[in-house]
Amino acid sequence: MDEVGPSNQGEPEGASELGSEEGSKVRWRPRQLVFGAYSPRNEADRKLRVVVRRPLVARLTKDIIETYQICNPQFKYSEELNPKRFLTSPSVGVLNDGYDNVNSDLILTVNFVLTNLETQRRYIVKDVLGHGTFGQVAKCWVPETSSFVAVKIIKNQPAYYQQALVEVSILTTLNKKYDPEDKHHIVRIYDYFVYQRHLCICFELLDTNLYELIKINHFRGLSLSIVQLFSKQILRGLALLKDAGIIHCDLKPENILLCTSVKPAEIKIIDFGSACMEDRTVYSYIQSRYYRSPEVLLGYQYTTAIDMWSFGCIVAELFLGLPLFPGASEFDLLRRMIEILGSFDRTIAGQVVVVSKWEKLYRGQPPDYVLKEAKNTSKFFKCIGSIHNTENGEVFIAGRSAYQALTEEEYEGRELKKPLIGKEYFNHKNLEAIVTNYPYRKNLPKEDIIKESQIRLALIDFLRGLVEFDPAKRWSPFQASKHPFVTGEPFTCPYRPPPETPRLPVAQNIKVDHHPGGGHWFAAGLSPNIPNRNRVAFHNSPHFPMVPYGHANSYGSIGSYGSYNDNAGLGSSYGSYGDSSNMFAYYSPVGPSAMNVHSQGGASMLGSSPDARRRVMQYSHGNGLGVSPSAGNFAPLPLGTSPSQFTPPSSYGQVSGGSPGHYGPTSPARNSCQGSPLSKMAAAGQFNRRKSWGYSGSSQSQESSSSSNWQGQVSDGTTSSQAEANSQVGSGLPCHIQSNSNTANWKQQRGGIGMATGYPVIQNIPNSLGLGSNVQLQHGTGAAQDKTEASMSLPDPGDWDPNYSDELLLQEDGSDESCITAEFNRGMHIGSADSSVGVGRFNRALTTSSNLSIQSRQNGPVGFSHIEVGSPPSANDPHAGYPRFISKHSHFMPHMTQNSPSRLGQQPVQRFNHGRSTVARGSEWNHMKVQLPPSSFSSGGQRSPGNSSFSNGMPWGRRTSHPVANIPPASRGRKDYGRIA
Amino acid sequence: MENSTQESHLRSDNSVTYESPYPVYAMALSSVPSRTSLNHQRIALGSFIEDYANRVDIISFDPETLSFKTHPSLSFDHPYPPTKLMFQPNRKSPSSPSSDLLASSGDYLRLWEVRESSIEPLSVLNNSKTSEFCAPLTSFDWNDVDPKRIGTSSIDTTCTIWDIEKGVVETQLIAHDKEVYDIAWGEARVFASVSADGSVRIFDLRDKEHSTIIYESPQPDTPLLRLAWNKQDLRYMATILMDSNKVVILDIRSPTMPVAELERHRASVNAIAWAPQSCRHICSAGDDTQALIWELPTVAGPNGIDPLSMYSAGSEINQLQWSAAQPDWIAIAFSNKMQLLKV
Repeated sequence: MDEVGPSNQGEPEGASELGSEEGSKVRWRPRQLVFGAYSPRNEADRKLRVVVRRPLVARLTKDIIETYQICNPQFKYSEELNPKRFLTSPSVGVLNDGYDNVNSDLILTVNFVLTNLETQRRYIVKDVLGHGTFGQVAKCWVPETSSFVAVKIIKNQPAYYQQALVEVSILTTLNKKYDPEDKHHIVRIYDYFVYQRHLCICFELLDTNLYELIKINHFRGLSLSIVQLFSKQILRGLALLKDAGIIHCDLKPENILLCTSVKPAEIKIIDFGSACMEDRTVYSYIQSRYYRSPEVLLGYQYTTAIDMWSFGCIVAELFLGLPLFPGASEFDLLRRMIEILGSFDRTIAGQVVVVSKWEKLYRGQPPDYVLKEAKNTSKFFKCIGSIHNTENGEVFIAGRSAYQALTEEEYEGRELKKPLIGKEYFNHKNLEAIVTNYPYRKNLPKEDIIKESQIRLALIDFLRGLVEFDPAKRWSPFQASKHPFVTGEPFTCPYRPPPETPRLPVAQNIKVDHHPGGGHWFAAGLSPNIPNRNRVAFHNSPHFPMVPYGHANSYGSIGSYGSYNDNAGLGSSYGSYGDSSNMFAYYSPVGPSAMNVHSQGGASMLGSSPDARRRVMQYSHGNGLGVSPSAGNFAPLPLGTSPSQFTPPSSYGQVSGGSPGHYGPTSPARNSCQGSPLSKMAAAGQFNRRKSWGYSGSSQSQESSSSSNWQGQVSDGTTSSQAEANSQVGSGLPCHIQSNSNTANWKQQRGGIGMATGYPVIQNIPNSLGLGSNVQLQHGTGAAQDKTEASMSLPDPGDWDPNYSDELLLQEDGSDESCITAEFNRGMHIGSADSSVGVGRFNRALTTSSNLSIQSRQNGPVGFSHIEVGSPPSANDPHAGYPRFISKHSHFMPHMTQNSPSRLGQQPVQRFNHGRSTVARGSEWNHMKVQLPPSSFSSGGQRSPGNSSFSNGMPWGRRTSHPVANIPPASRGRKDYGRIA
Repeated sequence: MENSTQESHLRSDNSVTYESPYPVYAMALSSVPSRTSLNHQRIALGSFIEDYANRVDIISFDPETLSFKTHPSLSFDHPYPPTKLMFQPNRKSPSSPSSDLLASSGDYLRLWEVRESSIEPLSVLNNSKTSEFCAPLTSFDWNDVDPKRIGTSSIDTTCTIWDIEKGVVETQLIAHDKEVYDIAWGEARVFASVSADGSVRIFDLRDKEHSTIIYESPQPDTPLLRLAWNKQDLRYMATILMDSNKVVILDIRSPTMPVAELERHRASVNAIAWAPQSCRHICSAGDDTQALIWELPTVAGPNGIDPLSMYSAGSEINQLQWSAAQPDWIAIAFSNKMQLLKV
């Protein structure tokens, strides 16, 4: 054996090339005795071995049962008898025929199968991700889709069951109606069912939560860029919630999870188990303590603003690594709030403070109007003065409040027990100092420190708007999303948000209910009056103020969004609240180019002034008003929850862009119909996809994103499957129309023009929204459904186009006009086949941009406004009875828009449109849209320079010539998609 | 037979072939040459016969004369083909100098005492509660630090740790979500296992609640059939996937990403063994009839790693052992032959 070691001299080159061996004590090399040098060539010459028999190793592992059965036919083996790995503890079955343990939790073992008996979909339990009072969350494998999901298995007790149904309802609504495109960072719900008397809710599987993330980081804060990224995403979610009138009620780092495997960190908000409708704030003991808002703590009525408080706490915690208000008790919590927020350190923020009334914003305790009303005030405060001065919550008379927080001793005196006081984590007492003095990362170059210190000032300002004692002054998601800390703009002076909280961009979307019965109708409501109304609102509206922020170019998106809709339907169905529609248009004309034309015969047109930004609002809420909930659309609720919980009060309607802060009187729309989401859910495979096409199809109306789908279709070029569908539908279905209109919208966004066409029709329509809505309903019923479905079936480009969805996400930040245009152009140039693709992109880009525009002003130049306006026409359509006609218009319009960067006067445009429309009729119009515009424009020569890319003409021109596609839409669509793929 | 051609290039002093009456699968080399037996090394060979009755034969090998000696008395019946045979490792002071402990796995774990001229069954270790039920053992490993421990892997998803001195189960762990195909000890209380679930997991008997997944096969649920822990450098282990020509080298410090994948076999790999005398060498053998010796480079080249040397056997190689007692001999088994190859 001795000679073995040293015997490596003779080694062939094969060995030597493998590099030097460092540090190994005995250098051993195999000698080449019977082993020869490795030579792949020789091997290559040999024929490949065909091995017929399974290797013995496989026959004694993988196939050992078969092997044993061959050896011994009596051999039996049953997996059933395998020892079970229990995932649930305790694992003794004492309840529910032995299925449940003493806690009413279903006893899970590895490979336990949960089955949705209705769909026969199987969920194979692989692990338990967590558990809580509600039950357990299991990681399950779904063989049918070859994917993992997270299944929440609710305890077999009525209270938990009921509460979980609320979660199902809320999430279903949020997902389906408000965020069909999955862009608002809310966890997706895929399915739900009852198994062994346990309600099981399936969610997309997510990764670790933000608390764990901080923990992994050893409770050091995350980098500001990450904090900003997460803040932006959470705000998108909160905007959606606010829009939907839903309060999460338990926002905390533990309930914000990273998504699995997405490159730029993406997060999702989970756990709607405590969520409630804003108008159904039943519980007073909500929110986890550290993140509990003052109004909840004090027992005051609460709104979605409590989530913004929690959000502020989370942002601070992400930055600090430790909770901002780690109150050991409620007393301690309040004490910390007052201490940290109460003292405003001028010296630190001095440079920031320019505004004289600055301090006022920084009130050091809850406003008197809250304290006066709150149930628990006496627990924490004593009254030291008269409250008469209180007005609007501005109590500061001589800077004093009528209330003073109890000291520890006083509290003890009243409560007869010492309050629990936690330990202090920060050396500094007030927010400014805590943030400012938080240690910088090591080895940070000086310039980076300076840079970061600036961002920290922005962060302080940001936090101040969030952890604001006065819920009325606390920023809304929309307001917060415009803060320089979020937008990344340089922070130069204290942020003054638009005074009012317009409904967030989310609203831009017009939500179309996917349910055939439901959502499409929304558009209907436009009455001519509306525009005026809006207009008015507009002027008044806070939005205006915003304008300044917007880059000059930006859009002025102003708008009002917002219309909320409640569903009438809700009552009966889960979750269908609001679906529908909000639409508003904003235009930001940035410039000369954009004009919005609006409507009705010009008279109402807003926009006559070119530069003004105008928005048109429309609304569509449609369904609601006249409809009776009973309308056939509702699906039966499978689960039997009591509808009543969900029913939004009628008063609820929020809305309207016009009225800032308060809920507008109008409740625009309620959808009457959405099937019960629940039932739907089960069926819907689509959920899995990022974009579910069911939605997309129907959703055209939704904002731009939806439009993308639409666009894709359109782009197909020749035929627009959808379009056709719509057209056919046309007469009957408002919804389709809408979709068209949307399309129009986005296009319009570009151009700004184009709106007008639709309007004329509108005029005919009854003025009142309500009427409109009713009308819609009427139409809607019969035929509509089918159509809708048809539209639903249309695939979403996102499904095929790998780039599609991701880019959307990614593009947000980056998309600016130039990009968009570029893409757009690209698309346009491409041959017809490609054109569809191109269009798709274009859409995408648009979409993004449109979203952006609201959120970030940066996009400015483009000036897209979300125009949801487009839809209006459609809404009207039903009445008009010319849906087709209308639709045509709208399509045309869009083109126009695109091209028209325009200087075209409104008038011209309109005319143009009309003319077009006529031509376009029939199925062709889709084509028309695409093709026509260019050609027409080109001829006109009117187009604005920017657009030029489009115009190139030949292809377009050609197409124009054969506007009509006879092909059945559906097939077309598919084909095209395939190609795209 | 084909042997003649295949072995024509072999030098007889560097390889020795033993022909068994049966196809050979399980194979074990005694850990210590038994001095009393003239430096003979015992080799246990298990048959693979598609019948309930299988055989285990003990032969001895004399490295001086390069000859095998068979002992008709050192042979016994074994129910089902043994999935693994192993002599007790590190027998520093055998109670009786000429006896060896041999373990076999199949329907149960069995212990045998191999004496000079006889074999005594010592025990049948059965943890099954019901007589009806038998979950076959796919493999086992004898803890070389603490030789009273044997860990078995079973298709019932468990690993069972036996205290063979007392003949009792020390612990039984549901190690995987699917069948467990192989097990290997690292330290006295640490073992790893591979499974049909495609994962390599490390267990520490001091914390039985948790295991560490250090690798998962790229396609979920591609079974991992064999596992070899590098006893010279416990950071490394190797595993093979079913129907794959790859040997996956893992570094337990960097879970999930293999440090190397050795892909020069032209058919599925059936067996792997780390060199007992070097931390950087490993031998693999497979259905391509080849045994390949690899040296792990410090840095893998862009084109993958070529083996250091190769050997072609006459047919698919089913088994491979590289004994610490005879580090310069690699034992392979193919069809009904066992061959010792000098390295």
